Amino acid sequence: MLLVNRILDISFIRRNHAMRSFITAAWLGWQIESNWADPFLFAVYSIARPIASVMILVVMYSVITDSATEEPIFAYIYLGNALYILVGMIITGVSWAVIDDREHYRTNKQLHTIPMSHFMYLMGRGVARLIIGTISVLITIGFGMLFFKIPITFQLVDWPLLLVSTGLGILALAGLGMIMGSLTMMLARHFWSIGEAVAGALYLFTGAIFPLDVLPSWIRWVGYGIPVTYWLEVARRALLGPDAIGFPTLARFSNLEIIWILGGFSVVLLVLSYFFYRWSLHTAKEKGLIDLESSY
Amino acid sequence: MVENNLAVHTEDVMRIYKLRGPKRKEDPREIIALDEVSLDIRRGELFGLLGPNGAGKTTLIKILATLLLPTSGTAYVNGKNVATEMREIRHEISMVSGGETSGYGLLTVEENLWMFARFYGLESKAARLRIDHLLEVVGIADRKRTKISDLSTGLRQKMNFVRGFISDPKIVFLDEPTLGLDVSAAREVRAFIMNWMGDHPESTILLTTHYMAEADELCDRLAIIDKGKLLAVDSPRNLKHRLNQDVVFQLTVEPLGPRPSREEMIESIPGVRQVTVTEVAEGTVLQLILQADEILSDVLAHLTRRGSSLIALEKREATLEDVFIDLVGRGLDVDTSHTAEDRDE
Amino acid sequence: MSSLPELKQARGFKLFWQTVWARAYPRIVGSTREVSWMFFETVLPLLGVAGYVFVYKAINAPPDYIGFVVVGGAMTAFWLNVLWSMASQLYWDKDAGNLELYIVSPGPMMAILLGMSIGGLVFAGVRAVVILVLGSLLFGVVYSTGSLILLVLVFAVTMIALYGMGMMFASVFLAAGREAWHLSNLFQEPIYLASGFYFPVKAMGFWVATIASIIPLTLGLDAMRQLLFTSDPTLGFLSVPIEIAVLLVLCVFFITGAYFMLNKLEEIGRREGRLTERRR
Repeated sequence: MLLVNRILDISFIRRNHAMRSFITAAWLGWQIESNWADPFLFAVYSIARPIASVMILVVMYSVITDSATEEPIFAYIYLGNALYILVGMIITGVSWAVIDDREHYRTNKQLHTIPMSHFMYLMGRGVARLIIGTISVLITIGFGMLFFKIPITFQLVDWPLLLVSTGLGILALAGLGMIMGSLTMMLARHFWSIGEAVAGALYLFTGAIFPLDVLPSWIRWVGYGIPVTYWLEVARRALLGPDAIGFPTLARFSNLEIIWILGGFSVVLLVLSYFFYRWSLHTAKEKGLIDLESSY
Repeated sequence: MVENNLAVHTEDVMRIYKLRGPKRKEDPREIIALDEVSLDIRRGELFGLLGPNGAGKTTLIKILATLLLPTSGTAYVNGKNVATEMREIRHEISMVSGGETSGYGLLTVEENLWMFARFYGLESKAARLRIDHLLEVVGIADRKRTKISDLSTGLRQKMNFVRGFISDPKIVFLDEPTLGLDVSAAREVRAFIMNWMGDHPESTILLTTHYMAEADELCDRLAIIDKGKLLAVDSPRNLKHRLNQDVVFQLTVEPLGPRPSREEMIESIPGVRQVTVTEVAEGTVLQLILQADEILSDVLAHLTRRGSSLIALEKREATLEDVFIDLVGRGLDVDTSHTAEDRDE
Repeated sequence: MSSLPELKQARGFKLFWQTVWARAYPRIVGSTREVSWMFFETVLPLLGVAGYVFVYKAINAPPDYIGFVVVGGAMTAFWLNVLWSMASQLYWDKDAGNLELYIVSPGPMMAILLGMSIGGLVFAGVRAVVILVLGSLLFGVVYSTGSLILLVLVFAVTMIALYGMGMMFASVFLAAGREAWHLSNLFQEPIYLASGFYFPVKAMGFWVATIASIIPLTLGLDAMRQLLFTSDPTLGFLSVPIEIAVLLVLCVFFITGAYFMLNKLEEIGRREGRLTERRR
């Protein structure tokens, strides 16, 4: 509370509508979501679920390859799955905030009648899930390094590449999340899982857990049209160094080229999400769905 | 042994709720919802429980409807013990609460009602006949095939009524049945209750409400309850009759000024039994229960001394609200759920 | 009102079955009311299953493993249904105000739980069949045409034990209150892992597989795989007859457990006043 007050007191932030909304919402999101400080919930969401989901792949891999975890494809699968946690968290974050405000806390009416940027507010609400997701990613990667010798050496990690690509990836994902959230504004409560479902489907196309080359060639093109594919590729390269480039997927692109592609996606998706948000909000108001309570 | 003609019989029923997670030492740890309640309701009666929010009305209904056990004391419904014979009791009762949101939104009104009718053992065909008939009676037959998620609050409550009465229960518990309804919907619901009682003279209804007029209009007898204690049980007429020796005046004055010291308050005038004060746009309304007409002149002289001028004065019949005020010393619109510490005071 | 014939109300066994079907009805009919659900319930999970199929393809697994994933992926429908629509259901019914009406009605609570199970089984069955059929066609899964009767028996026993478990969980989760949501989350991926939804459970090692066998889908899935894919009989955890025997024991255990838990819960709930309180 103290920290957020100090930030909000900085004069240019106080005067800036969008920044103020974003920071206040990030603080609110944190207050709501940070129940992970409860050891049980932390164990469920940040340890048990992510570790179990990566362990499914580890066992599948081990059964077939007789535990050849030193092969580069193992690190490929493991890291892809670990990083993918962020995709799910960010894509579902905004949809969840929309439903939460509308049907649980029932504050949507008020939120739409006070002078703030609701677009930036929703973005801010996603920040808490980004932080929690990042913690899960770090735990999962740490687990892999410890128990399965995932070959990440801190000195060899290309940190600037990792940070820039992850930053751009998060922006692109925020755009996608915003589109899902905007869609939710027009839908009933049972669509809260729409983000999760979409995230699950993207798993198949983005080369998260197998190189895209395994897919039939016409499906690969779906993957090339999704920013997550590029983010996972470049993040793996940054973490693993030369070991990562053992597969033909996107191999013809240099790191810089992929960063440009990712940057392009981020800009396009953010702009698109803004216009889609405005259209969805308009439609929701037109249909009287701002304070929908879709109990069923 | 419970008398044969009693639909409800309770002896010294206490219900204490433990509060979870009191933060500080001085925070209350339990709430006394019912305090040694002994009550008899005869078969065929429309009996009302009148009291403010938190008085213990819903708790008593929950105990009688087998949803809650008394902390101590015993309660019988149709001669059966609520603690041990709940399965038998459930064949004979039903319950409708105000503001209920039960049912499945994806189903139609007819489907929801059919489902509950089957839970009461009705044959499918008989259930449908009854649904049609009762929907007609409450005036929502045209909504039979509407999904309940599309019903307004009033329509939904009418559907709940149909659900509550579909099995011809021997005892119906109505917990604030007109809560949240507009004036005309509430009137229709009250008319339905009266008609149903007319058609089922052997059945009993126990109704809780904090609307005086509703209790006055509907109930054969009623109990006034506050802070978990029964204060009086009688017919509305007899209850009002208690105040017959007294007179009730309503005064509108301006301005009443700041709260004076104890000896300067209106209550200190000999012969003034109760005073309630309500602020309205025109000034301050004083409801006075006086032992005799003559005392009014003392009150007016007192007000003049305090610099208040009289805008309006009305002498009227005693209402149940006056009875309540006379019994508890305040109006009905106060939440009075109380704690063990209050009781010890 | 007096024009209606006098009411006859069923009791005993008849009332039990009437209640079962009445409670199953909203589940079965409800699922046809929102057709959009079908898309989320079938196509998207199928894409998830496809993800695991391609992992096996990427590491050149034998073809039967693709069949394992398709069958396991189809069975997730039942597990998710038990977690989200059985175990957590009484808690949600309490929140909506239905639970108190169920309790006040003479229809037995066991019948209401059984009705929920049958309705859920039908709903999840549709999802499972779609994943199974489309998955098999898309990835060319070849099934052995061994003992169909045995297969049906295994499936039936697994479902009875599984939904018996769901009925028992319904009471446990209701007691857990708001934590129920988190419990359902906890039992998702970790159970996929421990029960071997995407690989033969034998790979988890003897002790984990044994402990995981308390979840009826573990042995049910293992037995079904043994009957459907005969290329490598050593992949099974226990022999099919033993697995059926254990599943039968689980049926009895969970259904009796559900009965006792429900009574216990009602007793505690009535004493502590927790059957109807709503908290947000």
